[in-house]
Amino acid sequence: MQSLIDLDLPHLVLAYSLVLLAVGLSMLQRIGQGREILWASLRMVAQLLAVGYVLHAVFAVNQPIYVLAILLLMVVVAVQTVVGRVQVRMPRLRRVVGTAIFCGCLGTTFFFTQLVIGLAPWYDPHYLIPLAGMIIGNSMTGASLAAERLGSDVRARREEIETALCLGASSRQAILPMLRQAYQAALTPSINAMAAMGIVFLPGMMTGQILSGTAPFLAVKYQIAIMCVITGSVALTSFLILHLGWRQFFTPAHQLRPWVAVKKSNSAAPSV
Amino acid sequence: MTTGDVLTLVVEQLSYRVSDQDGTQILRDVSFSISGGRVAVIIGPSGSGKSTLIRLIPRLMEPSAGRILVAGKDVNGLDPLQLRRMVSLVPQKPFMFPGTVYDNLLMPWRYRGEAAPPADAQFWQELLAMCQIPKDLLQRDSSTLSLGQQQRVAIARAVGGEPQVLLLDEPTSALDRPTVEALGKTLRRITVERNLATLLVTHDLHFAQQVADDLILLQDGQIATSGPAKELFREGHSERLQAFLVGSSVG
Repeated sequence: MQSLIDLDLPHLVLAYSLVLLAVGLSMLQRIGQGREILWASLRMVAQLLAVGYVLHAVFAVNQPIYVLAILLLMVVVAVQTVVGRVQVRMPRLRRVVGTAIFCGCLGTTFFFTQLVIGLAPWYDPHYLIPLAGMIIGNSMTGASLAAERLGSDVRARREEIETALCLGASSRQAILPMLRQAYQAALTPSINAMAAMGIVFLPGMMTGQILSGTAPFLAVKYQIAIMCVITGSVALTSFLILHLGWRQFFTPAHQLRPWVAVKKSNSAAPSV
Repeated sequence: MTTGDVLTLVVEQLSYRVSDQDGTQILRDVSFSISGGRVAVIIGPSGSGKSTLIRLIPRLMEPSAGRILVAGKDVNGLDPLQLRRMVSLVPQKPFMFPGTVYDNLLMPWRYRGEAAPPADAQFWQELLAMCQIPKDLLQRDSSTLSLGQQQRVAIARAVGGEPQVLLLDEPTSALDRPTVEALGKTLRRITVERNLATLLVTHDLHFAQQVADDLILLQDGQIATSGPAKELFREGHSERLQAFLVGSSVG
């Protein structure tokens, strides 16, 4: 395998000059985005360097406890991100999202690394961390879509739910149409990504492997496997979010709770 | 207010308090009863607690205190799904489920997991006739119905589930005058033919006068006055009813 050409500081500065080109073009057109571009690029550099140092350290130490700590940190950040994106009030949202991402993402990650790849040692950070990152990152998007869609639907379709309850529907029967649509919404990006794979874009992992000298077919096989795992993880995580989440909107007596699914910022009393 | 052998709906000392920091009292010690075949109308200004009262009966919400009996049974002792077979509420804005009118009429049966009579069965013929819905509407897409038709289908859908108590929240709010009058006739007919205890909430006094056997005036969460509608409307002996009548006809 040929190794990747190293980039030293002058070469990185040369690459960074293209960011300055973007800033210059923005100033030329008086769009006033120059400051934002600069700030974003500096954040990127700082964040990636920090990640680089952390990964460097974890790879060097090569202890399972540190690898697991990194995975857990990724889960926590993903849960935070999903909870932050949901704009309506959902009871026990953090617990539901936490359980779903922890079980859905880590379950599929270990299924893939242990049963499919057969990683040895089982915690090898070179594999486990980037794969878990891809799986959690993609599942996070699906989880956000599922939670956000369910919450906003319960809010917008209160009349439909209450009409169903009045006609003798159980809470599950009343919310089933919304569950189905939220699940569809969560899975659509993964379906589209699979269908467009290789035609519209070359996926990042495959590109990276090819750049670092991996034979194209091996890179393709990994890409196929990771897409399958991502799809499974998105499906499992969204399913868990929806099926743990919908119960929180109702009481055991099949009543829609009065305080749920209102805008998070809305602190006024509900209409009664 | 009406003493029959078995009262279909009895409400005793019902109170409701919002469970927030302020603990706003919406209803206070509300008591009344309705027997089968009679229409009771709750009138009252907005914010008087009418809608809360009607939502407590099928247990869409829990009261803070008091008791509700349906056919002699305390609703708290019933499975909520069982209760909602006996008590059907038509919400203010009835939702039409996607599909045909027939699909909508099937909903209570589907929720119970029971096989409904086929579309050409006598059961539906009678129900449609009673609710004054033309037969050819049965296979019509529910999204093409007028508001008046939707209201009728919503009532037929509720009555088709064969409840003993029919509740309606502001059934006339979206309808024009002739449609309201026709709806009033339909409701009286259904109530008598099915021996229902019908309770409806409205702020429309003309409609109340047209349909009510019994009248309950709710003000600030309490019953200000109640009794047979004919007496209350004829005599106007309650100052509060009169004030309410004057106030709403001017406004």
